[in-house]
Amino acid sequence: MSSDGVNSGRRKFLTAATSAVGVAGAVGIATPFVGSWNPSAKAKAAGAPVKFDISKMEPGQMANVEWRGKPVYILYRTEEQLGALPGLDPELKDPESLIPDSQPAYIEGVNRSLRPEILVIVGLCTHLGCAPKHRPEVGVTEFTADWQGGFFCPCHGSTFDLSGRVFAGVPASQNLIVPPHSFEDENVLVIGIDSEAA
Amino acid sequence: MINMLVGLRDWVDERLPIMKAWDTHMGSYYAPKNFNFWYFFGVLSLLVLVNQLLTGIWLTMSYTPSQEDAFASVEYIMRDVDYGWILRYMHSTGASAFFAVVYLHMFRAILYGSYKKPRELIWIFGMLIFVVLMAEAFVGYVLPWGQMSYWGAQVIISLFGAIPVVGEDIVTWIRGDYLISGITLNRFFALHVVALPIVLLALVVLHLLALHEVGSNNPDGVDIKKHKDENGIPLDGVRFHPYYTVHDLTAIGVFLFIFCAIIFFMPEMGGFFLEYPNFEEANNLKTPEHIAPVWYFTPFYSVLRAVPDKFWGFVAFAASVAIPFILPWLDRSPVRSWRYRGSLTKIALTLFVPSFLILGYLGVKPPTEARTLLAQICTIIYFAFFLLMPIYSKLDSTKPVPERVTMDGGMSAWGVMGVLILFAALTVIPIKAVGAESAFDCGAIPCDEFKADPTDQASLQRGAQLYMNYCMGCHSLQYARFNRVAEDLGIPEDLMMQHLVFDTDAKFGDLMNNAMDADLAKGWFGATPPDLTLVTRARKHPKWLFTYLRNFYQDDSRPYGVNNRVFKDVGMPHVLMELQGMQACAMGPVTAANGGVKRDPLTGEDILEDPCGQFKIVEEGSMTPEEFDVAMFDLTNFLAYVAEPIVADRHRIGKFVLLFIAIFTVFAYLLNREYWKDVH
Repeated sequence: MSSDGVNSGRRKFLTAATSAVGVAGAVGIATPFVGSWNPSAKAKAAGAPVKFDISKMEPGQMANVEWRGKPVYILYRTEEQLGALPGLDPELKDPESLIPDSQPAYIEGVNRSLRPEILVIVGLCTHLGCAPKHRPEVGVTEFTADWQGGFFCPCHGSTFDLSGRVFAGVPASQNLIVPPHSFEDENVLVIGIDSEAA
Repeated sequence: MINMLVGLRDWVDERLPIMKAWDTHMGSYYAPKNFNFWYFFGVLSLLVLVNQLLTGIWLTMSYTPSQEDAFASVEYIMRDVDYGWILRYMHSTGASAFFAVVYLHMFRAILYGSYKKPRELIWIFGMLIFVVLMAEAFVGYVLPWGQMSYWGAQVIISLFGAIPVVGEDIVTWIRGDYLISGITLNRFFALHVVALPIVLLALVVLHLLALHEVGSNNPDGVDIKKHKDENGIPLDGVRFHPYYTVHDLTAIGVFLFIFCAIIFFMPEMGGFFLEYPNFEEANNLKTPEHIAPVWYFTPFYSVLRAVPDKFWGFVAFAASVAIPFILPWLDRSPVRSWRYRGSLTKIALTLFVPSFLILGYLGVKPPTEARTLLAQICTIIYFAFFLLMPIYSKLDSTKPVPERVTMDGGMSAWGVMGVLILFAALTVIPIKAVGAESAFDCGAIPCDEFKADPTDQASLQRGAQLYMNYCMGCHSLQYARFNRVAEDLGIPEDLMMQHLVFDTDAKFGDLMNNAMDADLAKGWFGATPPDLTLVTRARKHPKWLFTYLRNFYQDDSRPYGVNNRVFKDVGMPHVLMELQGMQACAMGPVTAANGGVKRDPLTGEDILEDPCGQFKIVEEGSMTPEEFDVAMFDLTNFLAYVAEPIVADRHRIGKFVLLFIAIFTVFAYLLNREYWKDVH
């Protein structure tokens, strides 16, 4: 065996070319392995949008709907409750819900809702994921000095107003999340499908 | 950056001899430079092993090892998991590919005497790998929990019942139950995914360590370590890396091309890799018409059947697997390679190879008297090849073995062709002599031609509509989902839900179950209407269904007043009667099994003596016969799509994959040529 005829440039080129094609092939082979970890059709079907008929709800009432395995609170707020919201701004950490991903782009204002009275929020505390309790009674002094109704997390004591906005001085640092939702018609709320721009 | 990597390498090397390991097994492992075609299959079996491990691990992520859910979870992988079908076909095709390359690898050892001293231990480890691989494949085949999984396991486990005295107890112990059940499935799952792979990997390591200790044999059977240069390097050796790594890359390219062609274009391989009855869920009360093991077990299965006694059949079967173990001590020839042996060895090989292939073929076929006789002859040849070897290998003449390896030894291209033709002829002629299949594919008649067209959306939509209106009431499609069907067929969600989904509780993403109570249905029809998701695959070909749907006829002796020429005494009423009308038997031509029609020798006209040779319409339906045939084409086409919804994707992706592998192979070939041009 002699090494006289070795064309090292050619060798280098062919090694590089074969390796490049090989690496592309490895990426191709990895595709099904990586892709198969995405949610399957079964998971997607279980996580499909959920419809809820709000026509039978009364002012002040709250409904709890499961969407993608999470509790979603639907709260029909009264005129008085809505009226109390703007005045709470000084006591809140993020009154304008400016922290990213707190709510979809079509949700704004103190009401944090598509229709003023209908609040839709994910019922999981943004601190460590417990389910906050709905405490609508006014004047419960153990929470804040002038409690106007809201949500209280029993795990670590975070408090939120009736728009799901977090109060200052509690462990949670973000408002309760508003999930993507929309109204299919007058009465049917769809959780999981975004509204067209508001 | 490079310096850091080198530094890290040296840091590790001071603590773990990685450079030494690399040198021992790759960089300074000197392999004979005259390896030929037969030497690719070792590295290919490693490649397939890696494929099986990776895809296997990924399949366990979505598979459910329980009696209730196993079959459905395989269909879940095939349909609902992204890319699941590729992973599953890689694994199922990989199983067959594993045996293909291992058989060729073993044959190479026989050709060139690679089991002879000092390589006996390599051979023993190799045989152990083969036996463990058979066990691994067997328990793995049970996991999909189809009809063949079940009844194949039933037959093989029952084999142990042939052991005297304790046989039946052993059978019960293996099953862990009084029948093959979920309990058996669970332990087979544990063996398949944990226990046996560990053993297999350990044996592979031992096989390679033993090989690299004594060095590779070669087609000349020459010991290359006899002639070394001043540095102690064999004159006829080349470093494994880079010479054989680039050499093997080309072979890997060719292998992957064939492997992917099967995955993407014929994953069932005509029923050899995935058997059709296995598309029907296991049923312990219904044996399939014909049980055959997968092709890689069939040579040994034929040996079992060739012996007309349960106990001795089991002994012969076990012996046929075990006897190659002692090959190193059966061979008394002073030379290794067949190249330097005489005509006795060549005659023995010429008898052995076709016999083994014939045994393999016969194992997938139902036994007949002539076939059993042929299997007995081949069994005798199989055993004689091994048991008479001490005599003929000693008597055989030998040619002088060269001192150094030859680069042009072996057969010429024409010689190879000649031997292939000879072996093929010796295999095919005896098979043809005992052949003659006589049954029709479609019950009493031959199947009508049918070619599914998964790209014809209009046809699929019409088929879906027919299915929902006429079939869905009784037959669920429980592995398919409404939204998938709607998306693939181009039907908008609202139209689908309004016009094609009649179950008001059903959601768009749901499985296509129906509301009929299975027990009530059994009372009405005598049998629960089967789920039809996989009917076109389970029945081997959609043309069965196409023929069946069009062959209902009036028969007042049946509960629903109809019978079927394809599926005699079927419990199903003629639900399509309003479309087709009612057909009745009429005297018609007699069709022979070969498709020919009995004719009058004088006039050349068909003889009409079969009382149900053709149909006449006795009651018109809303469709003409031509319209009805088109409708049934659409319905069958839809069910063929439902049976494998990814078929169109499979073909589309497959073309790109094959093109890509072809490009890779070209580069690998050029690289190989560049390295090897100076090796003479």
